[in-house]
Amino acid sequence: MSVDIIVAGVGGQGSILASHILAEAAILAESESPGGERVNVRVGETFGAAMRGGAVASHVRFGKGVYGPLVSRGQADMVIALEPLEGLRIAVEYIDRDGIVVLNDEIIPPVDVKIGAVRYPEIREIKAALEQLGATVTVVAGNRLAEQAGTVKALNIVMLGAAFRSGILPFGEEILLEAIKRRVPQRFLDANLEAFRLGKESHNA
Amino acid sequence: MAKYKLHQPAGCRELLMGNEAIARGAIEGGLQLMAAYPGTPSSEVGEALIQAHGGGDYYIEWSTNEKIAFEVAAGAAQVGARSITAMKNAGLNVAMDTFMTLPYGGVKGGMVIVVADDPDAHYSSTEQDTRPLAAYAEIPCYEPMDQQEAKDMTRDAFELSEALELPVFVRSVSRISHASGDVTFGPARDRRNSLGFNKHYKLPYRWNVYGAPGPVSKHRWLHGMLSKAREAANSSPYNRLEPVEGAEVGILSSGVAASYTLEAVERLGLSGKVSFLKLGMIHPLPDRLVSQLLAEITTLIVIEEGDPVLESMVRAFAQEKGYQLKIHGKSYDGILPPYGEINADKTAEAIAKAMHVSVEPDKREGRRKELRSLVAPRSSTLCAGCSHLGSYWALREALKEHKGVHIINGDIGCYEQGGYGLFASKINVSEEQSKRHPLRSAYEILDTIYVMGSGIGMAQGQAQAGYRDGKVVAVAGDSTFIHAALPAVVNAVYSRADITFLVLDNRWTAMTGHQVNPNTGVDALGNKTDGFDIPAVAKSLGVKMVRAAGAYQLEESRQAIAEALGFTGPSVVVLYGECMLQVLRRTKRGTAATRVDEQTCTGCTLCVQLGCPAIMFDKEKKKAKIDEINCVDCNLCVQVCSFGAIAVEGAPE
Repeated sequence: MSVDIIVAGVGGQGSILASHILAEAAILAESESPGGERVNVRVGETFGAAMRGGAVASHVRFGKGVYGPLVSRGQADMVIALEPLEGLRIAVEYIDRDGIVVLNDEIIPPVDVKIGAVRYPEIREIKAALEQLGATVTVVAGNRLAEQAGTVKALNIVMLGAAFRSGILPFGEEILLEAIKRRVPQRFLDANLEAFRLGKESHNA
Repeated sequence: MAKYKLHQPAGCRELLMGNEAIARGAIEGGLQLMAAYPGTPSSEVGEALIQAHGGGDYYIEWSTNEKIAFEVAAGAAQVGARSITAMKNAGLNVAMDTFMTLPYGGVKGGMVIVVADDPDAHYSSTEQDTRPLAAYAEIPCYEPMDQQEAKDMTRDAFELSEALELPVFVRSVSRISHASGDVTFGPARDRRNSLGFNKHYKLPYRWNVYGAPGPVSKHRWLHGMLSKAREAANSSPYNRLEPVEGAEVGILSSGVAASYTLEAVERLGLSGKVSFLKLGMIHPLPDRLVSQLLAEITTLIVIEEGDPVLESMVRAFAQEKGYQLKIHGKSYDGILPPYGEINADKTAEAIAKAMHVSVEPDKREGRRKELRSLVAPRSSTLCAGCSHLGSYWALREALKEHKGVHIINGDIGCYEQGGYGLFASKINVSEEQSKRHPLRSAYEILDTIYVMGSGIGMAQGQAQAGYRDGKVVAVAGDSTFIHAALPAVVNAVYSRADITFLVLDNRWTAMTGHQVNPNTGVDALGNKTDGFDIPAVAKSLGVKMVRAAGAYQLEESRQAIAEALGFTGPSVVVLYGECMLQVLRRTKRGTAATRVDEQTCTGCTLCVQLGCPAIMFDKEKKKAKIDEINCVDCNLCVQVCSFGAIAVEGAPE
C-alpha cells in the first residue's frame, strides 16, 4: 500500500515543512515497528528562486512500490491546501476519485487577481468543483485557528491536524507529534502542538 | 540542540534532499575541498557542506563563477586532495573549457563534478542534458535514481576517480536534487589524502597538456583509462540487469527515469514479464551487461529523461554486435518526447504504446478540462519592496526622455523577472505591438534574456551593428557583474560601444537562495572580507561615465540613468538597494503602515505598473489598495503616485 499526499500553498506558508513532517513520521513509524516491510519515503518539492509568493506543491509519498518523487495524476489520496486557489490548481489534476481535500479558507490573491486581470473563484465554487471530481472536501478556518494557537505561522500544523482527522494517515498521533517536535523550532513548539490540536478538533468551516 | 542531520552516525536513516545526500556522500568520501558557484537546482550541495562544516577539516568557497570553481577543485586534485564542485547545467557551459581539457592527464586525488540538470526548465534557461557532455569529455558518468544513490555514488565517485585517475561526473536532475528521500548513512572516511606535487606523476609533464610528447599522448592515455572505466561500469553495483527468462521485451533506463519505470511496469502489470536493465553508471556504456540484455530480446524500450543518450549509445552498440531488434525511444518513433520532464504517467504511456497495451483513461478528464477555467494563474513576481522594482521604474522614467524602440537586454538573477510577463496578460504578436514603449508592467521591461553575462555582450552587438532607433541598455546584478560581465565591460570600453549598463546591486546572490559573493562582504563561512566596489571597478576598467544611486530613491536613480543615457560611449550606472528579504531578516518590522487615501486616488493604475505584489487594484471601486500583509513600507509606491494618494502613516512629510 502506498500513500500519496500533496501539500499545496504559496511560498512562505510552510508547505514544505508540513510535507517533511509527514515524511519524517513515515520514517519514524517504520522504525517503531522493526521487522516490518521496508517502505520508501519520497518528497517531491517544487520550489525555485528565493522569491516569496510563488505557487508551491510538495508531493509526499510513502509505501512499498514508491520510487519516484512525484504523485501520478489522479492518484493523490489527499491534498492539503494551505491556500484555496493552490489547492484547486493541484487537486484538479491530482486528486483521486475518492480522495480527500483539506482546504484552508484564507485566500492569498495572485498578482494577476490583484491587478484586476482575472477573477479569484469563490471558496464554494472551489469546493463544488473538487466534489465534481469525486473528492471529499473539508474547509478549515486555518489562519484563524493558527492565530488562536499563538502564531499564524502555525497554519501548516493546523492543517496537518485537520489532515490527521481524516484517518487516512497510516501512523498514530504520537508519531506525528514526534515528527513535529523534531522539525519545528523549539521556541514555537507549544504553539505548534496547540495548532495541531485545534486542527484535529476543527469542524468544517 | 539536535545534531545537524549530516553529522548523524553510520546506520542512521534520515530524510535528505538530493543535494544534502550528495553533500553527505562527499563527507563519507572524505572531501578536502569544495568550490562552487550557486545555481539552482545545485546550490544546496554547497549550502549543506557549509552548514555541516562546523570548523571541519575541509576548505569550502563560493567561487566567482563555475569555471573558477572547477579550476579550484581541479588544482586541489592535482596535489592529491579529494575535491568536489557542483553546478547547474548552464554552469557546466561556463566551466567547459577547463572541463574538456582536464581529462587529458586527469587527476591524482579524487575529483567529483556534480552537475544538476533541469528537465522542464523549472529554474533554467534551457533543458540542456549534460550527459552527452560527460561522454564528450570522455569521463565516467553516474546518474542516480534516488537520494540514496545520490549519496552512495558521490562517495564512490572519489574512489572511482582515484582508481581511474579521472574526474568523475555525477549527473543529477531537479527531481533528484530538489526532491527528498530516505537515506541510510554509511561511515565517513577518517583518513585524508596526503598532499604532494610531482611534475611527472606517472606520466611525463602530467599537469601540462602541451608537455612532450604533446596532447595526443595524453588523449591516448585517456582512452586507455576509459577502457578500465568500461570494466568498472560492467561491474558497478549501480548497474543492475534483471533478466526474465523467455521475455521478448526488455526495458533500459537510467537515473530518475528508472524510478518512474519501476512504478510504470508495476502499474501496467508487467512485473516479471519484461527484462530490465537499470543503469546508474551510464558512461562508458557497460557493454557486457547491455549484451546480456540485447541477446535475449526482440524489442527494446529505452526510458530516459532529456536527450536520447542511452538510446543512441545502444543503437550504435546493437549495430556493431549485429543484434536484430526493434528499439523504441525518442529518436525515431518518439514514444517519449525529447523535451519536457517525464514521470511515471508518461513512462507508463510510453511502455504501453511500444507494447500495444491499453491504459485505462481517467474518465474525469472532460470534467477537469472545464474546471481548469476556474484556476486563476499565479504569475511569478519580484518580492514586495524589492529594490529591482525601483531600478526598473527609474529606468522606464529615464527612457521616456528618448524617442524610439529601446532595447533592454536582461540577464540572469531575480531581476530576470522583468522579462517574464504576467500570465494574465495577452500578447498580440505583431510588429506594431513591439513598438510598445512606454511599458505598462515592470514584468515586460526586458527584451532579451539568455544566460549569465549575455546581456551586455548582445547590447554591444546591437549598438555596433548601427542600431539607432532607440537606446541600447543592459542590466545585470552584482553577482552576475562579477561572474560574467567584467571582460564584456572591458570590451565595451575598448570598442567604444554606445551602451548603458545598469548594475542592480542588491549585495547577494539572491535568486539561488542568498549565497554570498565578493560584493556581500563575507565569505562562505561568514568571515569578513574586503568587499568589492563596483563603481570603482567600472572606472578602473576604463569606463568614463560611471554613476551610482540608491534604488529606493527614484528621482536620484532616474537622474543617474538619464545622465548615462545622454552620454555617448559606454556608461555604467550602479543602483544599490540591498535585497529586501535580507533586510527583513535583520530588522523585524511590524505591520505595514503604507495606505492609499481613497479620496485622493484617481484610479490611474500608475502604482500597479510598479509591479509590486503588495499593490492591489479594486476594479469596482477603481481604487488602489495596499496588501498590508505583504507590504514592507519601502516607500517606492509613495514616490510613484503623482497625486500624493499613497503615504506611509507616521512617516515624516
